[in-house]
Amino acid sequence: MSDYPQKLSSIIFLFEGLSDGERRETLIAYADQAKTHEPKEGEVFDFEDVRKDEECTDSVGIYLTRDKHQRLHFKVKLGPHVQTLTRAMTSILCKGLDGITNEDLEKIPQDFVPKIVGAELIRARSQTVYYLLTRIKTAARVWGRRNSH
Amino acid sequence: MPLDFNYAHPEALVSTQWVVEHLDDPSLCIVESNEDILLYDTGHLKGALHIDWRRDLQDPLVRDYIQPKDFAALCSSHGITPETTVVFYGDKSNWWACYALWVFRLFGHTKVKIMNGGRDKWILEGRTLVRDLPQREPAHYPVPLVRLDDEIRAFYEDAWSQSQKKQPLVDVRSPGEFSGEITHMPEYPQEGVLRGGHIPGAHSVPWKRAVNPDGTFKSAQELHHIYQQSLGLKPNDPLIAYCRIGERSSHTWFVLTYLLGFLHVRNYDGSWTEWGNRVRAPIERL
Repeated sequence: MSDYPQKLSSIIFLFEGLSDGERRETLIAYADQAKTHEPKEGEVFDFEDVRKDEECTDSVGIYLTRDKHQRLHFKVKLGPHVQTLTRAMTSILCKGLDGITNEDLEKIPQDFVPKIVGAELIRARSQTVYYLLTRIKTAARVWGRRNSH
Repeated sequence: MPLDFNYAHPEALVSTQWVVEHLDDPSLCIVESNEDILLYDTGHLKGALHIDWRRDLQDPLVRDYIQPKDFAALCSSHGITPETTVVFYGDKSNWWACYALWVFRLFGHTKVKIMNGGRDKWILEGRTLVRDLPQREPAHYPVPLVRLDDEIRAFYEDAWSQSQKKQPLVDVRSPGEFSGEITHMPEYPQEGVLRGGHIPGAHSVPWKRAVNPDGTFKSAQELHHIYQQSLGLKPNDPLIAYCRIGERSSHTWFVLTYLLGFLHVRNYDGSWTEWGNRVRAPIERL
């Protein structure tokens, strides 16, 4: 657990204590909040990466800002056909990774994802549950490279 | 739009309005089946059950469907008997609804219907979704004596034989998958298929040609034109449909069997994920 930022650790801890039914309900609740993590009209970002990949059923836009303390903040815009599990992961990651540094984000292992979504959903959707984390890490990495010179 | 009574079996297709009028009919069971694994939990038709194509209908170990005793247990636990009319609907223009319907038919359940347009049409019309789980009393579903694998399901050997005899094979995948240009559905991840192309002699008729933009099925006349006039298929032809894992071809199986009245249609559920990986399986490319 020590590899995860505090906010993400709290979310993982919450999910680890849930039954399968409660886990699904909680994922739905997070999915319902995905729209609140969309960029707002006129908001300015340090980096934007909007694209449609094979791994997801619709386009996903990652919007990143870095504050004066070098901490990252993410907004995510999802196309209308993005599936529920990805919408849930959007809320979870926008909250759980909020304020992380680029260096710490790079070090986060992806082994927390099964702890959140559970073995059944991992088996059924193994190719898509890691997608959003990969996209967020990639956006931060590309932005970091561009600004390291 | 009223349903087309020129379909061979118009009773197998019901409108969203018909479902509204029958939501409380105790002789019916409404079943939602989706690709999006959590979609049912976000809201569903009042009283609708959730049947997941993988968790509920497939054997967890062997690539096969559940056994008759498991099907009986599934239905019994959901209060379904052989007399229950099961109305299926779902996302993706009813792909998985048709797949679930086909599996029910595999076990000999005859009272089946599809809600035309599926979940998207229901939502588009502003109809209500609920999150309450239905409370259905368990019932007794006798264990089916057989699974109709020989009648409505095709295996690799059947598809191979069909190809050699130059009998009709219908590839319902996208044109890019059929030509061999891509090995997965557009906008979907690659699922481990090693070779692209199609079964030698197969006709390309993407499933989507059978539906309108709102996901409802085209009229009997339009479907007749696509499959019979243009392709030259006849209702008595022995016919095999396939796609990637059998979900899109279930949709076409429903069209051919219930809407056009073809008598001998089989769904090759092994489809391209089997054929495209099979050692020495012959492949054609465009």
